[in-house]
Amino acid sequence: MSLLRSEWLKLWTTRTTWVMLGIGLLGEALFAGLYPGLASLGDVERELGEGEIATGVGLLMVLMLVLGVLTITTEFRHGTSSSTFLASPKRYPALLAKLAAALLVGLLAGLAFVAVNGGLSLSLISGRGGDLPGAGDLASVYAGVVVSFALLSAFGFGVGAIVRNQVGAIIAAIAFFFVLSPLPELLPGSIGEYFPAQALGSLHGHLEGDGTLGQVSGGLVLAAWAAGLVAIGILLVCKRDVAD
Amino acid sequence: MPELEVRGLTKRYGRTVAVDDLSFAVEAGRVTGFLGPNGAGKTTTMRALLGLLRPSAGDALVEGSPPVEMGDPLRTIGAALEATAFHPGRSGRNHLRTLAAAAAIPRARVEEVLEMVELTGAADRRVKGYSLGMRQRLALAAALLGEPRILILDEPANGLDPQGMRWLRDLLRAQAAEGRTVLVSSHLLSEVAQTADELVMIRAGKLIAQTTLAEFTAGGGSQIRVRASDLDALASGLAERDAAVVRDGEALLVSGLSGEQIGALALARGIALHELSPQQQSLEERFIELMGDDEESGS
Repeated sequence: MSLLRSEWLKLWTTRTTWVMLGIGLLGEALFAGLYPGLASLGDVERELGEGEIATGVGLLMVLMLVLGVLTITTEFRHGTSSSTFLASPKRYPALLAKLAAALLVGLLAGLAFVAVNGGLSLSLISGRGGDLPGAGDLASVYAGVVVSFALLSAFGFGVGAIVRNQVGAIIAAIAFFFVLSPLPELLPGSIGEYFPAQALGSLHGHLEGDGTLGQVSGGLVLAAWAAGLVAIGILLVCKRDVAD
Repeated sequence: MPELEVRGLTKRYGRTVAVDDLSFAVEAGRVTGFLGPNGAGKTTTMRALLGLLRPSAGDALVEGSPPVEMGDPLRTIGAALEATAFHPGRSGRNHLRTLAAAAAIPRARVEEVLEMVELTGAADRRVKGYSLGMRQRLALAAALLGEPRILILDEPANGLDPQGMRWLRDLLRAQAAEGRTVLVSSHLLSEVAQTADELVMIRAGKLIAQTTLAEFTAGGGSQIRVRASDLDALASGLAERDAAVVRDGEALLVSGLSGEQIGALALARGIALHELSPQQQSLEERFIELMGDDEESGS
């Protein structure tokens, strides 16, 4: 518990987390304010009907992935990993605490996203006299977004722990998640659903495509990827020397 | 049982051997200076004692056990490794707060150590704006946070001004006087000569000497510098008495005879002495002599 408190403090005592969440939420406010306000009401309603509720979620998705990477690579970059592991010589307790902090900040960002998206987008649409999706649909999409932010952050943490170099890890995480992992979708069959990109789509409740995975299964697939990377990352960090 | 001990410690990086079968022990209640040129393996040894790197062979032990098994790490060992290991965007106070939180050390202790290292006024500034000396003091504050039984400090005097050095010496002496174990590294003997009770000297990853400062000081061979009316005659006279004589410009450096013996010889030969002064070889000279030219293992 004290290690988690330490990791939580680390997150909020540099500007990084504030700036990234600020940019993400500001961007989301623009998306959620402009698109439903300016696009034709028919288009907006049709997309809502298809489950495209979380307008502009992409920016924060990328930011959550990067923030997850940063939670661990900053320590290696600035050499603070030495003092972190002096307080936790077995290393994995500190790493698990850091993972918990990364998950928590993802959940928090997800809730903030829901507040901005719901507050702006939905009130604009209903203000224009549009039909809103049912409460059940809204709740499941928003829950998917909140969970996905936490999982993206954990995914980034795993990649960061494996790669260690900050820039390299950010590039690796983005390239793998957003460039490589959508590729299997092009293959026939449903193999693509078991890769992170499409699993994230399922988790967000996207209904288009020939996907057969439901929200929960999509979430579990994404969680399995994140857990696998995190496990490898933690093992490597525990085994490797902490360089200067 | 020694507080800190390395036994046959070896650390290889590829083909480079950073530490080579090194063994020594560090006892409580005194300051142990860990000396060697840059690149001698001091930092590697310290990191092994802190559990930050795995030895290729041998053991690094803290209170008799491997460092990863420490129960309450920050109250066992406090370490200041390098003055740059801070997030530049975090304030000094927040840096200490994150460490204190990890070991459930009360907030008040953070203020206490800030006061001790005289950083209270700058505590809310981001570390980015700190001078090297301020970073050193912040690193020391972090090391002292848990009131640890053992202190491991890597080149803590770097970047300190003369008052800072003096303050550091007093601090280390006080910590040792309280029965704590202090291991402090330096590549300069003069930095630890006024503080250390015990010296561990390494070069190219190997132990050169472990000795008390008193023994090291006493071990210096002494020479006598002599000037006289007829240097050549005196030199040949000294050589007959089996003294080692070295010509140093208009003087002779003589070893193997006392001042009285040289004076008596000069009187007997009718040579007037102009100077007869004992030359204590400086500690630094002895140190450099021991360490030798170490170009190949420079940092």
